[in-house]
Amino acid sequence: MPIARIHFWGIDSKYLFYILVGISVAVFLLGVYSRVSVWLAAVNREKVIVSREGILNLLMDGLFGRRIFKGDLIAGLMHFFIMWGFIGLFLGTVLSTTDYWIIHFLSGDVYLIYSFCLEILGLMFIAGLLTALIRRYIARVSRLDNQAQDLWILVLLFFCVLTGFMVEGVRLAVNMPEGESVSFGGVIFSSLPSSKEQAEAVYPIIWWVHSLASLFLVAWFPFSKLFHVLAGPVNIYMASQPEAVVSRDEESPEGPGFLFRDMINFSACTRCGRCNEVCPSASAMEPFSPREFIAQANEYTRLRYNPLSRIKWFREKLIKSVSALPEISPEQIWYCTTCRACLEVCPIYIGAFEPIRRVRTSEIEEGSRVPNLLTKSLETLYMFDNPWERSKKKRGEWFGDLAVPDLTAGAKADLCYFVGCTTSFDTRAQGLARSFVKIMTHAGVSFGTLGQKETCCGDIARRVGEEGLFEEQVKKTMGLLKTYGIADLVASSPHCFNLFRNEYPLYQSPGATPLRVRHYTQVLEELMERGLIKPVKRMDLRVTYHDPCYLGRYNNIYQAPRRLIRSIPGVSLVEMAHYGPDSLCCGGGGGRLWQELEDEKKLSEVRIREAADTGADIVITTCPYCLIMLEDAVKTADLEGRLRVMDLNELIAESLGLGEEGEESTIG
Amino acid sequence: MNIIVCVKNVPFTQEVDLVLDASKQDVKKDNLVYVINEWDNYAIEEAIRIKEETGGHVTAVTLGKEADEEVLRRCLAMGADEAIRVERGDLNPDASMIAAILSAVVKTIPHDIILTGVQSDDLNNGITGSLIAERLGLVHAAVVNSLKISEGKAQISIELEGGQDEMSQVTLPALFAIQTGINEPRYVSIMGIRKASKKEIKVIDASGLGLPGEDLQPSLIMEEMFMPPETEGAEMLQGDAGSLADQIIRIIREKGVSL
Repeated sequence: MPIARIHFWGIDSKYLFYILVGISVAVFLLGVYSRVSVWLAAVNREKVIVSREGILNLLMDGLFGRRIFKGDLIAGLMHFFIMWGFIGLFLGTVLSTTDYWIIHFLSGDVYLIYSFCLEILGLMFIAGLLTALIRRYIARVSRLDNQAQDLWILVLLFFCVLTGFMVEGVRLAVNMPEGESVSFGGVIFSSLPSSKEQAEAVYPIIWWVHSLASLFLVAWFPFSKLFHVLAGPVNIYMASQPEAVVSRDEESPEGPGFLFRDMINFSACTRCGRCNEVCPSASAMEPFSPREFIAQANEYTRLRYNPLSRIKWFREKLIKSVSALPEISPEQIWYCTTCRACLEVCPIYIGAFEPIRRVRTSEIEEGSRVPNLLTKSLETLYMFDNPWERSKKKRGEWFGDLAVPDLTAGAKADLCYFVGCTTSFDTRAQGLARSFVKIMTHAGVSFGTLGQKETCCGDIARRVGEEGLFEEQVKKTMGLLKTYGIADLVASSPHCFNLFRNEYPLYQSPGATPLRVRHYTQVLEELMERGLIKPVKRMDLRVTYHDPCYLGRYNNIYQAPRRLIRSIPGVSLVEMAHYGPDSLCCGGGGGRLWQELEDEKKLSEVRIREAADTGADIVITTCPYCLIMLEDAVKTADLEGRLRVMDLNELIAESLGLGEEGEESTIG
Repeated sequence: MNIIVCVKNVPFTQEVDLVLDASKQDVKKDNLVYVINEWDNYAIEEAIRIKEETGGHVTAVTLGKEADEEVLRRCLAMGADEAIRVERGDLNPDASMIAAILSAVVKTIPHDIILTGVQSDDLNNGITGSLIAERLGLVHAAVVNSLKISEGKAQISIELEGGQDEMSQVTLPALFAIQTGINEPRYVSIMGIRKASKKEIKVIDASGLGLPGEDLQPSLIMEEMFMPPETEGAEMLQGDAGSLADQIIRIIREKGVSL
């Protein structure tokens, strides 16, 4: 017998095999069709554009699984082995089919190399699968929650590859051509049958078992979590697509109105649980979990938009698997702080917070289940143009004795300081504004504020899904900026900053001059680089820095505040257990500051304890929400006297000798 | 079940430094923000809940100017089926006039239940509901903090002094003046109000209701409105927490509270 790929050795009914192949491929295609049609049921399907970043991510995160390695090397290797084992063996089958039907090339040395490669891939596959089984069922990695399909998929894959080796082994037991020893995996199994006759007898049985298992896998594929093989890469590509404006108007249908990207997100999730590990709410054991939310949303959309759900059997099966008609339970959505940590760790860029906003919008429009305090905060925002229930006339009260030019009263300046509601009205956060103004004045910067005319940028409305109110605030604020010819703006709050920088442009008419937007940390850094501020006062302090979510994860500003802190003589910066992109939310974002929830935990206490654990004297932050939340946590966590919370402006002002009177003695 | 809810647009006065106008009969209202009277918000919510549970038709009625239609749009957004504004023209009605006008309007609409708030945030008379009931000859209850409807009867609870509640059964039709806290009023979104603004609001002229002249005369004459006289300044306590507590206890004792 020549050395070559052997097809259908001893198998008579190959036509039966091809009929079965036809059936399993048909089921596969039907499954893919049903899931893709759920994607296409999305409202306002945005146009997909060609993006270099998307392609690059697709290569790095798709083919190499870059993000799977992050923080979990073993998981990365495991997935790499399974993925490439799977792809390799699939390609092997494609080549074999080509060899049989189209052009015969698998012979001689080519065949031997082919065979050897498949052996390696098969072993890789087995190694990956065993690692997965050990992680799930022996080492019991805590973030994995082991559902039935997790086990069955691993067992089925393992069974397919094992019977594959056995098919080869039993064939080799009958006839071992010269050179076939490269098939070292199969060789192991060739000693299993006691005689050639026995091998010849069992061969068709094993061949059929292997074939049927593999064909079942193909058919089941799109209905199981294996669908991530197809949806994951799409999701990776879509992650870098520009944000779309989802205008919702009075005519929009009820319900969450998920976007194209949301739908792909839902279908691509494999429940790896990384999001739950980093979610501040889920890890504080609040009744929210990003993973469960995505799973619920997946079931919800699959049942509603899947063409197969018109078939009774399928619908009932789907309902049974979640024990009731899938709904997205409305209470959970208010716990999300929109901190973006879930997106940061997801290997395929699924973030729960965006689709959560869609559900929030639908709850806001429905009205009756909106948390009590939030209802009041939003009504206040509408009436007073700020969520603090303060009259507009009191917006400038924090000025005190400071001279702050008012751009709406004739003052001319290059830079507009957008103070923000919280910084304007909260007595603690006012310290941020006062220090910033002192630094700017000290540096001789030409700046002014919008005085009492300043509006609420609409961040709270946006985060809690009150789209109508958000649009009102955008219109009002853009009109105000236009009236006073504002082209360069600096914000106190990373929340206002993020909105101006990333979301306002979506509402701007095309052709309008884009607004230059900076957060105060960027302005301070520039002033320092230009030598306009030189921290001179030595302060022997150990400080730690808390990254606000909307400055860090949302806008990638991690280094500017750290460089500013390090520029102060005597100050040493120590990092907390979570910092930079892994920073832990203070619990104030996403509208959490504006509502009271059942079983709510003090997320800020978790964070302040981390800060205290560094042994720092002061925790510095750059966001008024974080400032309020952490300041409060110092008191409730009984850390008063041990740890202080300061805004970066306050620290810099202090080092420039501009500190508030009477406070000087308390530092250093 | 036909339900009519009487609502009022009132100025929001918390956090506002009120200033008297030149006539010393009223406060300056031009810069004030108007909102639904807090009690009425609970009343309309209660009506919508009854409708959602037992079916029915909810009509919101207000006496006011065109700008006051805002309160009706809010009611429509919450789920009211119909809204009527009674144009008040140049009238500056007190509670008895409001009751006379509203009852003349309500009389012409089929009703099983009429809801009002216990009182209004601006004038605080707390009698409009009772006066309407009197004029229509309806059974009524004030300060209702629980309302259950079944088979033409209402199980109600009335808030008494000292945290006591009185439970009663009332045969419909009846009027109830609703107390805050009876429910949690739903959130009304901006989109919801925009949607509701497309619905028609029926306008009736108060002068065309055929009311006798004395009904359109105030029964209460306002002589003068004035700011409460300033009293002695507050005593600001100084010191650390311990000494502050001692001082507070001393003051409480001095005022005659036995500790």
